[in-house]
Amino acid sequence: MLKYAFRRILGMIPMLFLISIIVFTLAKLMPGDSLSGEIDPRNTNPQYIQEMREKLGYNDPLPQQYFRWIGNFVQGDFGKSTRFKIEVSEVLSERLPNTIMLGLTSIIITYILAFFMGTYSGRKPYTFGDNLIGGLNYLGLSIPSFVAGVFAIFLFSFTLGWFPSNGSVDIGTTEGTLEYWLSRFHHVLLPALVLGLLSTASYTQFLRNDIIENSRKDFVRTARAKGTPERKIYNVHILRNSVIPLITFLGFDLVAIISGAIITETIFTYPGLGQLFLQSVGTRDYPVLMTLTMLFSFLTLVGNLIADILYGVVDPRIRLD
Amino acid sequence: MKKKSMLMLAVLMLVLSAFLAACSGSDKAGTKKEDDNKGKSGETAGEPQDGGTLVYALDSAPEGKFNYAFYGTATDAEVIDFFDENLIDYDEHLKAQPHIASWKTEDNKVFDFEIKKGVKWQNGDELSVKDWEFALYTIADKEYEGPRFDNVRNILGAQAYHDKKADKIEGIKVIDDYHIQITFDKARVNNLDNLWTYPMNRTAFKGIAVKDMMSSEVVRTKPVGLGPFKVTKIVPGESIEMERFDEYFGGKPHIEKVVVKVIDPSLSVGELKNGTLDMTSFHPSIIDQVKALDNVNAITYPGVSYYYVGFRLGTWDGEKNVMNDQKYQNVKLREAMFYAINREEWVKAFFFGVGKPVNRPIPTNHWIAADNKDLEQFAYDPEKAKQLLDEAGYKDKNGDGFREDPNGKEFVVNFSHYATQNPTFEARAKALTQYWEAVGLKTKLTMTDVNLYYDMLEKADKSVEVFFGGWSTGSDPDPTPLWGSKALWNYPRWVNADSDKLLDQALDISIVGTDDQKRKDLYVQWQKLFMKELPVLPIAELEETMAVAKRVQGVTFDVSGMNRPNNWWIKQ
Repeated sequence: MLKYAFRRILGMIPMLFLISIIVFTLAKLMPGDSLSGEIDPRNTNPQYIQEMREKLGYNDPLPQQYFRWIGNFVQGDFGKSTRFKIEVSEVLSERLPNTIMLGLTSIIITYILAFFMGTYSGRKPYTFGDNLIGGLNYLGLSIPSFVAGVFAIFLFSFTLGWFPSNGSVDIGTTEGTLEYWLSRFHHVLLPALVLGLLSTASYTQFLRNDIIENSRKDFVRTARAKGTPERKIYNVHILRNSVIPLITFLGFDLVAIISGAIITETIFTYPGLGQLFLQSVGTRDYPVLMTLTMLFSFLTLVGNLIADILYGVVDPRIRLD
Repeated sequence: MKKKSMLMLAVLMLVLSAFLAACSGSDKAGTKKEDDNKGKSGETAGEPQDGGTLVYALDSAPEGKFNYAFYGTATDAEVIDFFDENLIDYDEHLKAQPHIASWKTEDNKVFDFEIKKGVKWQNGDELSVKDWEFALYTIADKEYEGPRFDNVRNILGAQAYHDKKADKIEGIKVIDDYHIQITFDKARVNNLDNLWTYPMNRTAFKGIAVKDMMSSEVVRTKPVGLGPFKVTKIVPGESIEMERFDEYFGGKPHIEKVVVKVIDPSLSVGELKNGTLDMTSFHPSIIDQVKALDNVNAITYPGVSYYYVGFRLGTWDGEKNVMNDQKYQNVKLREAMFYAINREEWVKAFFFGVGKPVNRPIPTNHWIAADNKDLEQFAYDPEKAKQLLDEAGYKDKNGDGFREDPNGKEFVVNFSHYATQNPTFEARAKALTQYWEAVGLKTKLTMTDVNLYYDMLEKADKSVEVFFGGWSTGSDPDPTPLWGSKALWNYPRWVNADSDKLLDQALDISIVGTDDQKRKDLYVQWQKLFMKELPVLPIAELEETMAVAKRVQGVTFDVSGMNRPNNWWIKQ
């Protein structure tokens, strides 16, 4: 297992390098640069823009720019955001807690809902309840998040007034107090619900199908034959086997938690990494943009690795070496 | 500095799919003059009441560069306007007025400034001209990374200090805490308009190197200003809380607390309706929804931006414009294309009733703007357009319904418009092409990503022949940076000796002296020339739109923006 993990980690290095080349090239291929937005004919003269382009190194040949960036990047210097003019790491750390909070809450919601709906559907397949759950799931899957977001805001914020429609915290609260954390939770709940509800479909259906499949297996028939109560069969014998494939999702969820939800964060004006990513593209903030993309790529690779390893851990039949 | 080009705006709005919210006036906000009733919010009945919290919304996240010397976007400027103050002020015709500072000058070269005594910073310091000197030195520093050096460059010796050839700026002379003399390198009419007049608190910035200032706490999270409200808390990228600054020099503000927060534009109508938002600027496309709310006033006030259709007449050789592209050189062709456009109808359809046709490359409310009766109006007249095209030799020779050029070759108008996520752009561009096709000019429309678009215009790319553009102007009326023959931003690459001469004369102190009327006359002549030559077809100007809850009183608007927030009050 260790040997396998080590081999995979080594394999990630060239992969990350290739990704970095692609990320860099694509970023630079976008028309314009971070300065083309700063034109102001009356007070910014062309000379200033020239000077800044020179200072930021935009005039150097591309390979040279690439190696300068990747050199610093490897040493942990992600550069200075051209938009905020502060260190990229500082920009990210301002938003990371918000994103993690949103991601975790939404995933917990997804897990809980998917678990209950999945087990119910799996146990009573092709009944009215199962079809209802299936119908709701696919409805959720097919509603775009920006529609759901706006609708949720209209209903829960404007009409009912249960949740705030924007921001991550009420500015009037003092940091660190219970009130502060309650306010943050209050703010995160609505976007998290939107995100969480819309993504329950795949989990629910996976769980349902596994339960149905397992319930037809020989060991279930054996258990039934020897008189094990139905409840125990489902909750112990079947469920444990059915959860295995779901555990591998954990790896991918790691990325989902961090990468944020671009559209949902924007609609709810929730300052997280997703919103930051979108804005960085719009303003050609290369350092932030490339750091974020590298971060997401890295997490995807790690997520894959974790998924594979977990697979081996929960199911001894699968050998990794 | 403060006025952003339409490009900047378009980039900002890309995310929000809103297309314009010109920003220039608001930065130089601060006129206390009573205005014509157009921009008045609500009935200002009764005595101002103290107290209450005002919620003000921004449509995109601020970058957090909360200092006049460092900010980059109009959004940041909206926040700064609450807590900081300009030393001088601009009236409803964008003329400079004394505010904290007053000035005397004999020759427009040496200015003697005097500032009011007892003006307090929010950290308790008294304002001194040394704070202003400090700001000027900071901006002139080689390490300074903001874009404002142009506002300091013209001071005698500033360039030498910037290049580290001198350790003092020769033209800045502090006489005492309240008097300062600033000498420019030469007499110019617009020296004052271009001068940097925002002080920086010396004690707050003490010990911070110039290159670290932009990322320092004083700029990011704990700004110190002179304005009516002081910042108490900042949640980066999300909201700013401010409280009343009792010692504000313009009088104690009535409102107790201001919360500025970022709200996605798609939510602003709902928030306004619920009463959880008091003030916000909004996109003209939702004006009807805002007007329908009974607790909110939708206010429009004159803006300083205009839109035009330009022609590629030449190219940029790296230093100056060269007029060498023949395709649109015929003035009659350009005139015909102007007469072909029904601007009234077009503006009504795409600017939601908050714009109007404009007939000059200067917004109507600027003091140098020529009167409409002095200018050719180019009212919609397709027959005249056809006649002009016939005269110029653009006739349909092969019977396909479209005109050929005078040599009998196929003639296609290649029209470009920038593309953002705003869906109305393509429609409005398409509408223009239909006007031209209606008079027999075959037109091909290209929508180009906004970043690429302005890159191409800047490089005078051959493929951008007829193009849509817009500019936002500031308090300095001088059109040279946009239409001078050496201006990079003269996108049509229009070169005209008479135009250059008039523009130079209007700035020449030996010709116009300090007489504004003389200067205006020259600009009127220039506008007449411009409208005769038609290097671009001015299309429309847009008004600014702002929503103000009815409970908020005492807010007035003019072309320079809103009045100072210390005059506002909330009806309890």
